Amino acid sequence: MRTVIIGLDGVPFDLLRDLAESGVMPNTASVIADGAFRKMLSSIPEVSSVAWSSMITGKNPGEHGIYGFTDLFPKSYNMRFPNYNDLKAQPFWERWPGKSVIINVPSTYPVRHMRGAHISGFVSVDMQKSVYPSALLAELEQMDYRLDVDSQRAHASMDLFLTDLDRTLDARIKCYRYLWDSENWKTFMLVFTGTDRLMHFLWDAYEDKDHKYHKLLLRHFEKIDDVIGEIADQMNDDDLLVMLSDHGFERLDQDVYVNYVLRDSGFLRFKDSHKITLNTIAPGTKAFALDPARIYLNCKDKYPCGTVTQDQREDILAELEELFGMLQLDGRKVISQMHRKEQTYSGPFSENAPDLVLIPAGGFNLKAKPNAPVLAEKDIFTGKHTQDSAFLIVRGFADDSCVPETPSISRVVSIIENCHN
Amino acid sequence: MNVKAMDHLDRLENQSIFIIREAYSQFRKVAMLWSIGKDSTTLLWLVRKAFFGKIPFPVKEIYDFRDKYASQWELNLIVARNEDAVGRGMGPDKGKFACCNELKTVALKQAIAAHSFRALYLGIRRDEHGIRAKERFFSPRDEDFEWDYKNQPPELWDQYKIKAVAEEHLRVHPLLGWREIDVWEYVKRENIPVADLYFAKDGRRYRSIGCETCCMPVDSDADTLDKIVEELKVSKVSERSGRSQDKEDDYMMQKLRSLGYM
Repeated sequence: MRTVIIGLDGVPFDLLRDLAESGVMPNTASVIADGAFRKMLSSIPEVSSVAWSSMITGKNPGEHGIYGFTDLFPKSYNMRFPNYNDLKAQPFWERWPGKSVIINVPSTYPVRHMRGAHISGFVSVDMQKSVYPSALLAELEQMDYRLDVDSQRAHASMDLFLTDLDRTLDARIKCYRYLWDSENWKTFMLVFTGTDRLMHFLWDAYEDKDHKYHKLLLRHFEKIDDVIGEIADQMNDDDLLVMLSDHGFERLDQDVYVNYVLRDSGFLRFKDSHKITLNTIAPGTKAFALDPARIYLNCKDKYPCGTVTQDQREDILAELEELFGMLQLDGRKVISQMHRKEQTYSGPFSENAPDLVLIPAGGFNLKAKPNAPVLAEKDIFTGKHTQDSAFLIVRGFADDSCVPETPSISRVVSIIENCHN
Repeated sequence: MNVKAMDHLDRLENQSIFIIREAYSQFRKVAMLWSIGKDSTTLLWLVRKAFFGKIPFPVKEIYDFRDKYASQWELNLIVARNEDAVGRGMGPDKGKFACCNELKTVALKQAIAAHSFRALYLGIRRDEHGIRAKERFFSPRDEDFEWDYKNQPPELWDQYKIKAVAEEHLRVHPLLGWREIDVWEYVKRENIPVADLYFAKDGRRYRSIGCETCCMPVDSDADTLDKIVEELKVSKVSERSGRSQDKEDDYMMQKLRSLGYM
């Protein structure tokens, strides 16, 4: 009995259902027809680093320690970039028996020894540290394997970006085919991340059938669907096929800057108004935010200019909830949910958790951006992450009750384990 | 008198000694960071030359090589250690960043505070790393240890700003203009002792030495000073390729920005 997990980074439940029903993804449609297809909750916050870390460990951030793409060094306002070395819980491939092949899972860089083969995903920096075992490097070079599309290109030329995206996908497919045959695996996991990139830059091209890039966008999903068909055909009756996304997507109208709000209302102060970074936070600051919308109280003994004491904590959190609860733009509420640390995270690393995480309402994207000159802006991006509309498909399980009606991403590993029992 | 024209290494040596003496004349309370690597050992050599073999200030850091030359060169050696973090079991398994921060940065902060140092000599070079290329010979750090690289005193025509306000300390970088190959040619010319790890053994050697868990040897057959110099003339591999952490942050920031995550 083997397990195959296919990740479609950033693909929302509704979009996948639409593409399956409209004939763009016929193979996905037949997997859905034979399995359980659910809308899934992403992590809090709803970014890939936290979501995939929660998926592969089956734990919440309080247990695995990853709260975002960025974090702060202890007792400082200096930013750092947590990676796979900072993940405090074991991924499933280190716990499950047999060999695993793991391709392109975000936040698993740099790779380390494991049973099988592992090629890390976003953000992988150095190819040498992205591939285990290193003997695979030569094979991957032959395939012209790319760790990630160069998203910077989309800012200069969408055509160049799409060409690069397509080549990256082709190389990923070659890599999966090679490892599918060459390794004697029990678990195979392959994540497509080009989908997330398309959603960021071309959500409008998905919604608008007449958009210049509409067909190219569908073509990308068709290509992935071909792979899904190919994989489904090669599976045995007692194998388990799992498909999922790490978060959803929807149309983006405006970016809203959390630190701008905090600064404007006196919660956040800087030493020098010409030099605004987290490093120049001034005494008197009560709260500050890290991306995308993680608010930390400026606690005494925790930060260099920290003054907030345990007694003041409750009052400040209540003030913040009122402030963000009332926040409106163009007559619409900006924030849909607020999650307090104690109610959201549990485990040995929940100390490092943000005190309050904001989830934006439809159309709004939240960013920390300490030096934002305005409250809200529109960038070139047309799509934004959603927390409540990822998807999960499980095919090949004995009992429908194995898959809850509304699963969350940190439960996927235990759902798979239940299916096997 | 037989006067020989100054060569490239003489000019570098002259400039470095000038900077070392300038910093000492201004501050008196100066220390030097000694990592026992080739660069800071070369710096130590130059400091001894600058003060005619006597070191008028204390120096800091590790092991056999360290202890041998600390005693032979009569160094006033301070071993700075963040005892509190060591006691709590801090190590690379707690995360490399946390480890570096606690055991290096915090330990140094404590030592500077304990000894009231106003300036530190460091053996960094511009060609080591993109961010180091932005450095000054006299580089101020504020009370939080922050380096504001966008707001630094200009250093034009060898005019240096060597005053620091009370809450600052100055980092002094006498080797800033040296290249990796200059260091090795000078090590050879002056016969400066360096750690054995730099010389190839079983096809590998260290080009840059940091903490054990965070640096890796590179493939090399250079087991003598001459071979190291020859290797550097043709190598396309960067000196710090065996060091983790560095460069990767910049790359990650750019990737995250390109997707609008920051």
